Amino acid sequence: MYAWLWRKFPGPFAVKLTIAVVLALGVVALLMFVVFPWLEPRLWFNEVAVN
Amino acid sequence: MTTREGPDDDRRRHPGQRPAPQRRPVPPPRGQLPPRQAPGQPPRRPQGPPPRRYTSPPPPPGANEETVVFAPVKGGTATKEKPAPPPLGKGGVAIRTAGEILITLGLVVLLFMVYELYVTDLFSAGKQSEASDQLDGEWAHDRTLHPELVDGKAFARIHIPSFGVDYNFTIQEGTDDASLEVGPGHYKGTALPGEPGNFAVAGHRVGKGAPFNDLDNLSSCDQIVIETSTDFYIYKVLPYDDEIENWAGGKGADPKCKGVSTLRDPNAEEGGAYSETFGRKVVLPSQGTAVNPVPYKDADALPKAQQAALLTLTTCHPQFSAKERLIITSVLTQQVPKDQVKDYGDLLSKIGEA
Repeated sequence: MYAWLWRKFPGPFAVKLTIAVVLALGVVALLMFVVFPWLEPRLWFNEVAVN
Repeated sequence: MTTREGPDDDRRRHPGQRPAPQRRPVPPPRGQLPPRQAPGQPPRRPQGPPPRRYTSPPPPPGANEETVVFAPVKGGTATKEKPAPPPLGKGGVAIRTAGEILITLGLVVLLFMVYELYVTDLFSAGKQSEASDQLDGEWAHDRTLHPELVDGKAFARIHIPSFGVDYNFTIQEGTDDASLEVGPGHYKGTALPGEPGNFAVAGHRVGKGAPFNDLDNLSSCDQIVIETSTDFYIYKVLPYDDEIENWAGGKGADPKCKGVSTLRDPNAEEGGAYSETFGRKVVLPSQGTAVNPVPYKDADALPKAQQAALLTLTTCHPQFSAKERLIITSVLTQQVPKDQVKDYGDLLSKIGEA
């Protein structure tokens, strides 16, 4: 999967590396700002109140 | 191949084969001292590149004999070489991709832990400081006695002197996720600060600023200060389970425990209405009675006029788990109007905490 992605990136090594880093950061940001905040209230281990 | 092998090369020989021809270490070149050897050590081969340019020494005995080639020991690793991997077939590619996906998912889970433990702290710190500024602004403008409670909006502030002078969080109305992300949240319908009954507040222990991270470090008689627009309310943590029995003669005699009683009624059976109330308690999450006006008792256990003014803090327990709840209960000992003290620091010096 990753080898295939790497081959799909255009350009010389430096360009490929830049694209890879930018893509990885994008995925991390997506997780941190969108996916995790959405997921978190659906999990059980953050409850602090009695009811 | 020659038979110039070190003595340790014997292991390559197959047991049972005929003994190797007589061997001797290479004689040192002329004009050079033989390498020094520790006494008792087997002779070693000379170190470094062997000097080659010299008149050839007499051939060692056996050099002209037929070279003996030994069969490698079965199962030996010394001479084994890995064959080049064959190109992956479709199945191999599928397995490799599956492995990559699993590793990626593992990394995502790790990242989620980082998010829970650290990143939510950053998000909450921003929200908390915003709420704090807003609260300060409102208090500066308007000093109404009973503020209107709006869901998710801060209306009071909690200070715990034993956690440091700068420990303070705004208290929001409601215990939903949005409120608790900003800071501790007030259980809707429970008493307000200073009122008889139970002013109950929930807070996160891990992540999201973790305002109640250290609640288990509190001990009885530690002060918890609730600041409203008009007053400072000073609560003190009630005696713990193991201190109740000998309270009056034991820790209760300490001047710092002034105003803290066990709340037990000596005349009533089992101590009366507050028989279940302790400074610290660990309960199941379903035990909603922990925030009742009289903790762990029915809502109408006592008429309002006879209720003690309590403050209850709840958080998850044990740390990193939501299996149980840690409940800290304290009792109001003092009310200081804000026009009598300059600010919180001034209050601390007056109540002997700073």
